[in-house]
Amino acid sequence: MLRGFYTATNGMMAQQRRQEVLSNNITNAQTPGYKQDQATLRSFPELLIQRMENRDIPNSQNTTVPTMTEIGAINSGVYVQETIPDFVQGSLRETGISTDMALVQGETPDEEGSIFFNVQNAEGEVRYTRNGNFTVDGQGNLTTNQGHYVLDETGNPINTDGLDFTVTPEGVLELDGAEVPLAVSYTANPNDLVKNGQDLFELNEDGEALIDARGVAGLQFNVQQNHLENSNVDAAQTMTDMMQAYRSFEANQKVVQQYDRSLDKAVNEIARLG
Amino acid sequence: MTRMTFQAAATMGQLQKRLDNIGNNIANSNTVGYKNRDANFSSLLSQQINTEPDPTNQIGRLTPDGLRVGSGAKLGHTNINFGQGSLQRTDRNLDVALLEDNHLFQVAVNENGVEEVRYTRAGNFYLTPVEGEQVMLVTSDGNPVLGQGGDPIVLANNMDDLKIEENGQINVTRNGVQMIEGELAVVEAVRPRLLEAAGNNLFRLSEQSLENYPLEEIINGVGFADKNMESGAIEASNVDIGKQQTDMIETQRAYQFNARTISMHDQMKGLINQLR
Repeated sequence: MLRGFYTATNGMMAQQRRQEVLSNNITNAQTPGYKQDQATLRSFPELLIQRMENRDIPNSQNTTVPTMTEIGAINSGVYVQETIPDFVQGSLRETGISTDMALVQGETPDEEGSIFFNVQNAEGEVRYTRNGNFTVDGQGNLTTNQGHYVLDETGNPINTDGLDFTVTPEGVLELDGAEVPLAVSYTANPNDLVKNGQDLFELNEDGEALIDARGVAGLQFNVQQNHLENSNVDAAQTMTDMMQAYRSFEANQKVVQQYDRSLDKAVNEIARLG
Repeated sequence: MTRMTFQAAATMGQLQKRLDNIGNNIANSNTVGYKNRDANFSSLLSQQINTEPDPTNQIGRLTPDGLRVGSGAKLGHTNINFGQGSLQRTDRNLDVALLEDNHLFQVAVNENGVEEVRYTRAGNFYLTPVEGEQVMLVTSDGNPVLGQGGDPIVLANNMDDLKIEENGQINVTRNGVQMIEGELAVVEAVRPRLLEAAGNNLFRLSEQSLENYPLEEIINGVGFADKNMESGAIEASNVDIGKQQTDMIETQRAYQFNARTISMHDQMKGLINQLR
């Protein structure tokens, strides 16, 4: 079979996967604190192609010598290697609701460094989020908009008792005289975090543990109450990428069709009898 | 492949819900004492797709193994914005606006035979005749407003004038003589986040919060000296029409984006069908 058949099909499959990632970004264009995913394409590992043939040496015995010549490297296709979340700060939007908080990241000691709120999932494990669209449940605990407890610096849920509170730019929740610092964690390499859904990030098994952002030298951040961090999805950019992926998909489909025509010729026209 | 349609279709349903919420806010932009409601999104589950664990695959990778593709977005909870609405002068004797944050009037509601006290910021009251030549102070829905002591405010008919004072006292003039004949009860929601909307512009306390806190720790009576209201005025709805319109356009466009995703997916499927 023609090798390019499979290469072009791979191209279609990769563009399709890329399209899935882009469409998920579009669906989350209104999710506070959402970090868009970027799909990276990568070619299949290089293969070395060799030509194998026999050469007749015109001597008395008429010897045949096998020879091999390298033709060169070839890539036999493309695939989506990974989806990398883009941790760029989203813009802020004022909501006027006191349970809404936005993390604003200033200078970080590491180029890629990123900060997160800490929350507790249903299994009692710590997860990280940028979605500060919090609320207070019937028991007075501060929760995310999916009901996960928001944690304080000591790793415990924050009970507001349903009272009104203010949050200082340093991330300290002032509640009827008491001061509860919200947990804010910092990681130098946010790519160690894996998306869990419901805006939660989970630390990968072999990832470096996150540290308390307040103890990090050279890190500037603040927490804005009554604000939300917008999704960092750029709808126009994403739509353009989707169109591009679509056309690329189409181009690959055309290539498959061309190969099909070549095969058609080989099967039906070459060596036709009569 | 169909992941794209699932993502978009699920999210479109949720965007529709957000439009419903915005529509409700706009519809109540003229409701006295209405508090704006805000709903926001959260991403749906991420699916882990395990790709070939080939060593060459690892070269240049930044993230842990596999691919993670999300499956759309959904709405989270609805948050009530308890911010004060602007004051609107009406010069109507029975209108009164609460000036302090978290202060509420008490209303007795009879629902399916169960008597319950609910709370409201709406101070546009009316008088309704009750038996024995008397009138009762009620809300615009006809539910009795509670006075001091938790009883409905019932006054004798045939009055010349009626005025609600700044401290909630009801000043009735009969034959040129002014007399205080009742007093509006005002309570303060100490834990305002535990209030839930009950329809008809009223708030109630959920059973869950009553299990966790005794009533007197959630709702506190406001003493005579601390009552602060403006008579002849009402508290307008705190819905910001401009913001709601912007949100509506934004949501509508997001809806269109998702619809485009589906049609794009459809065309891609078409291309696959044309392969042969």
